[in-house]
Amino acid sequence: MQRFECLKILAAHAGDALVVTSAGANNVEWNALRPSDGNFRVRTLGLASSIALGMALGLPRRKIICLDGDGSLLMNLCALPTIARMNPKNLIHIVFDNEVYEASGSGRTATGYGTDLVAMARAAGIRRAVWARTVEEFAQAAIPALKENELTFIGAKVDTTRAEVPPYPVDEVENKYRFIRHIEKTENIAILKKNLPASYLK
Amino acid sequence: MDPISAGREILNGLKKSGIDLIATLPDINLFELLSLVEQDGEIIHVPLCREEEGIGVCAGGYLVGKKGALIMQNGGLYNSVNGIVSTLLQYQIPALLLVYYAGDIGDRNFSTTGAMTEPVLKGLGIRYYVLRDPEQAAELIHRAQVLAEDSRLPVAILLTREALGHRPPLRV
Repeated sequence: MQRFECLKILAAHAGDALVVTSAGANNVEWNALRPSDGNFRVRTLGLASSIALGMALGLPRRKIICLDGDGSLLMNLCALPTIARMNPKNLIHIVFDNEVYEASGSGRTATGYGTDLVAMARAAGIRRAVWARTVEEFAQAAIPALKENELTFIGAKVDTTRAEVPPYPVDEVENKYRFIRHIEKTENIAILKKNLPASYLK
Repeated sequence: MDPISAGREILNGLKKSGIDLIATLPDINLFELLSLVEQDGEIIHVPLCREEEGIGVCAGGYLVGKKGALIMQNGGLYNSVNGIVSTLLQYQIPALLLVYYAGDIGDRNFSTTGAMTEPVLKGLGIRYYVLRDPEQAAELIHRAQVLAEDSRLPVAILLTREALGHRPPLRV
């Protein structure tokens, strides 16, 4: 199974979900399929799931999707019990497990030697945690999760194929500002406030 | 001031500064403060397994309109450094870091941990302020939060044992 095929299915059903992509290779593919200011590309290996958790708790009525990788999740495994404990019903945590550190030279990760990330998620306390090994299984897991309101973890076993896509269009700071402006607009809230100069204050 | 009252001063300072998302990891000296955070009905409390997660939680919360604080020991600050650098600093995301100052003068253990605390914060370019008197907690927290939001950077407050209402172990 190819990651890009899974992402196509997700892009067709994601609606206005906010999508957090891990430090890895999935962010460019996702942004090519669903370009949006509601995409946030994480640069700290491991932190995508924790950032998505913060978003999910902060905006409980909005669907949040975390597109993680095996190398990323392995670096921050303790996110799993924390996510299970907080149990945000609007969070879908998808891990594309290609068994390599794809963005850093394709050295093999522990998942190629028997580590089962879905079993770990379940053992951490995430009840709805499933493997998808075919595109059909991925669709069966992801599409209902997008409609329903339950914390979901999906492990997607994928090969190491990469799609030919353009580079990520913005740097980190622009990504942040665009994302926040997107939230302000779609949620009708003010996040970035600037004060008047002191001479205006009474 | 006793630890419960000191904890209340700190929590009130956080709430008055608009903090509504707090990620924590326990330290014995933070026990009373964290119990108050847990009991507070208005704040989203995220108990962590490792402090760097909390950098992510606070950053994610900030991106959707929350104001986050991370309460941890200085050892947890060290655990968080990659997240601080490549998420908070790289994206210019504010966060309030309340760091128990283990190994500070007046504390018996962790002197090595204490010795590295300010150099690490300086090395990261994070502005920090030491709180010793719990009566000054609310004012200092408010100022630190204003600074964090204005600079769009993390700001740290080092909480000493006295700031948390605990007596130094040795008294003359």
